[in-house]
Amino acid sequence: MNNPHHLNPTSLKSRFTTRFLRALTKIRAQKPISSSSPTEIFRRYRRIKVAADKSMAYSVRSRRIWSRAMLWKLRSRSYRRQDPCSGRRSGKTNQAIMKKSSNENTTTRREDGVGFVEEADELRQLVPGGETMNLCNLLDETAHYIKCLTTQLFSPIGKG
Amino acid sequence: MADFSEQSYRQPFPFLDIDPTMESLTQFAELNPQSFILDNSAFNFQTFFPLSINDSLFSNQASQGETMSGFIHNSNQSSVSAQPIFSAKTEVEEISNKRKALDILESSSGNSSSSSPQVSETGIKRRNNSGRGKRAKSNEKEMEKPKEVVHVRARRGQATDSHSLAERVRRGKINERLRCLQDIVPGCYKTMGMALMLDEIINYVQSLQNQVEFLSMKLTAASTYYDFNSESDAMERMQRRKAEEAKELERLMREGYVGIGGVACFHSSSTYGSL
Repeated sequence: MNNPHHLNPTSLKSRFTTRFLRALTKIRAQKPISSSSPTEIFRRYRRIKVAADKSMAYSVRSRRIWSRAMLWKLRSRSYRRQDPCSGRRSGKTNQAIMKKSSNENTTTRREDGVGFVEEADELRQLVPGGETMNLCNLLDETAHYIKCLTTQLFSPIGKG
Repeated sequence: MADFSEQSYRQPFPFLDIDPTMESLTQFAELNPQSFILDNSAFNFQTFFPLSINDSLFSNQASQGETMSGFIHNSNQSSVSAQPIFSAKTEVEEISNKRKALDILESSSGNSSSSSPQVSETGIKRRNNSGRGKRAKSNEKEMEKPKEVVHVRARRGQATDSHSLAERVRRGKINERLRCLQDIVPGCYKTMGMALMLDEIINYVQSLQNQVEFLSMKLTAASTYYDFNSESDAMERMQRRKAEEAKELERLMREGYVGIGGVACFHSSSTYGSL
């Protein structure tokens, strides 16, 4: 009734839009007047892209394997940038399991017995965190990932 | 005996949903009246029980991250040797093992909801191997449950060893998921094979990711353009202000020029004078 565009205030779309808007305003507040050199522009582009990925992953929380993988990647990258000497500072539970299984799977090729190994591997590279999934979970995660990508693109921020 | 078995499944596992298992119980009861009591308890756990027993007997750890294939292989290897042990066990031992297995169950229930079909198949398979042979095979028909636990039975003339059963169930799940994806991804036709559909899906995901990148670039450009424009406005204002100030200064200088200029001329003349 108040906002006819967001039919459900807790839907994925509205959660993503709110978070992304907040991140965008923060980015614009940081550097109101910046030089128009290419490096500055590129830096800002990286920040906006990371903000989009981050707000998407936070809207999904830990309910999906790909969102957990994405959050872990973002966190480890930010930690590495802050303190390059530090070891693994982030939480151990999911990350340790994922790293362990990814180490196990790098040596053995996933032969699921179904015969679509090349395509499956390519899909694993596209979907974040896909290396640790068997084909069944991979297809599940792909479907959810596609749904989230389309929400991002058709959000009312003007992306779509 | 019946009372005891009733008790056995009521006490340690009050959280279990007994209703969906009653259907399977009655169906399996008519097939295997002799082993009913022993396996009665098994199906109260929605067939987690036989596998978990084997697991606790033959492996020391049941780690959460264990994949389903590892689970099945474990149970397959141990299923043959488990037969005599299982039948020789007393019921008291069963209960204590159930209690031990409860922790494993609870911890792995979250992960293994998708594993229930495979688990149920090995349970069915073991009972097939327990000596019924032909009779069980001929009485079987395929049955689908509305809930997550899918009991898939072998059709007539098909292999009933656990590997192919598990394979068939996995393939069924993969096909189902591919069908869902086919609805989502435009450009997938049912006539295409799985490989082609996967290719289409890959292309679609790639194009979506590229679109997201392109649109975030567009956002960056828009925001820098906006900032640049507002900045140029500010600069114009500043320039205007500076021009005004310069004019003021000129006026002041013209007025006071005589004084300053006079002082300067006087000063210069004085210096010349001294020389």
